[in-house]
Amino acid sequence: MSQLIKVTRPTKIELIKLRRRLTLASKIQKLIKDRVSILVMEFLQIAGQTVEVKRGLLDDFSALYKALSLAAGYHGYIALEKEFTASEGGLEIAAGLRNIGGVKIPAFELKKTKQALRGYSLIDTSSWLDRTAELSEKCLEAIVELAELQRSMAKLGMEINRTKRIVNALEYLIIPGLQATIKYLNMKFEERDREEKSRLKRVKVLLERK
Amino acid sequence: MSGELPYDRVLREYLTGELRVLNAHLPGKQKSLADLWDEEYPHVLCNDGSVHLFKQKELRYLASLIDSDEQKALMLPILIEVNTGRGEMAVLCPGVVGEKVIQKVLDMPLDVRGERITLYRPQLALVRKRLKTTTQYVFSAQL
Repeated sequence: MSQLIKVTRPTKIELIKLRRRLTLASKIQKLIKDRVSILVMEFLQIAGQTVEVKRGLLDDFSALYKALSLAAGYHGYIALEKEFTASEGGLEIAAGLRNIGGVKIPAFELKKTKQALRGYSLIDTSSWLDRTAELSEKCLEAIVELAELQRSMAKLGMEINRTKRIVNALEYLIIPGLQATIKYLNMKFEERDREEKSRLKRVKVLLERK
Repeated sequence: MSGELPYDRVLREYLTGELRVLNAHLPGKQKSLADLWDEEYPHVLCNDGSVHLFKQKELRYLASLIDSDEQKALMLPILIEVNTGRGEMAVLCPGVVGEKVIQKVLDMPLDVRGERITLYRPQLALVRKRLKTTTQYVFSAQL
C-alpha cells in the first residue's frame, strides 16, 4: 500500500506543488527506465559476446596444447625452452575507457608488434613451433578481449541492479505516494466545497424563516 | 525556483545529476575518421576528462565502408540520442556520410528527418554490436 506524504496544510498551493513534483518524478522515472533498457540491451550483447569469445578461447587452448605437445615431442623440452626464451618479448596493451549510459567500462586493445620474426631460429625449428606461437598469440588476444568483456559485464550488472532499485522506488513508492496525496487533497477540497454549499443552503433557509 | 520545497529540489537535482552523469562522457570535440586513422592510439577527450579509446578493428571496418574523401567528413564518435518516453533513438549525424555508414551497417533503408536518422531498438542493437567504441549515447530529457 502506498504511503501518504505528509502535507503541512491542505491548500491549493500545496496541490499545485504536489502536481509539479509528480510530473518531475514521472520524468525521472522515464529517463531511468530508458537508461535501464539501454544497459540491459548492452549487458545481453556483452554476455553473448563473452560466451562466444570464451568458447573460441577454449577451442584455441585445446589446439594450442596439442600443437605444443607435438612441438615438445619433436624438439624435446630443453630445446623448446631455449627457443621460447629467445622469443620472449614485452606486451603492449592500450587501455582506455568507454561509457555506456553513465557506466565507465574498460576498453583494452593488444598492440601488435610489427616483428618480422618471432625471435627463434627458423632453420632449427619445425612448423609445429610456428603453429604453437601463432596459436598462443591468438589466445593472448582472446584473453585480453575476454578480460574486457567480463569486467564490462560485472560493471553493467552492478549498475543495472542499482538503477532498478531506484526505478522500483519511484514506481512503487514515490509516484503512488504522490498520486495518493493528490487524490486525498482533491477529495478534501471537494468535501470542503460540499460543506460550504450545505452551509450556504442552511443560511439561506434560516434567512427565509426570518 | 523560489518557494521550492527541499523535496522538489532533491528530485530536480537528482534528475539534473542523472543527466550530468549520463552525458559526462560526451566528447569535447569529435574527430574525423581520417585524423583518427593517423593516431597511434585513436582516442578523444571527454568532457569529464576521461579518454575514450577507439578500437582499430572498428576504424578499419568503418574505413572499408567509405572512400578516403568521406573519411575526412565522418566525425567520430557518432552520437545516438536517446529521447525519454519514445521507443526510438536518433542518430545525430550532419551530412550524408554518417547516413551512408549507418545504412551500410544496417543494410536497409533508413528513416532520415533533417540531420537525424531514426533508429528502432533492434536496429540500435545491431549498430552498437558493430560499432561499440565509435558510437556514444546522448540522453536528453526536457526538465
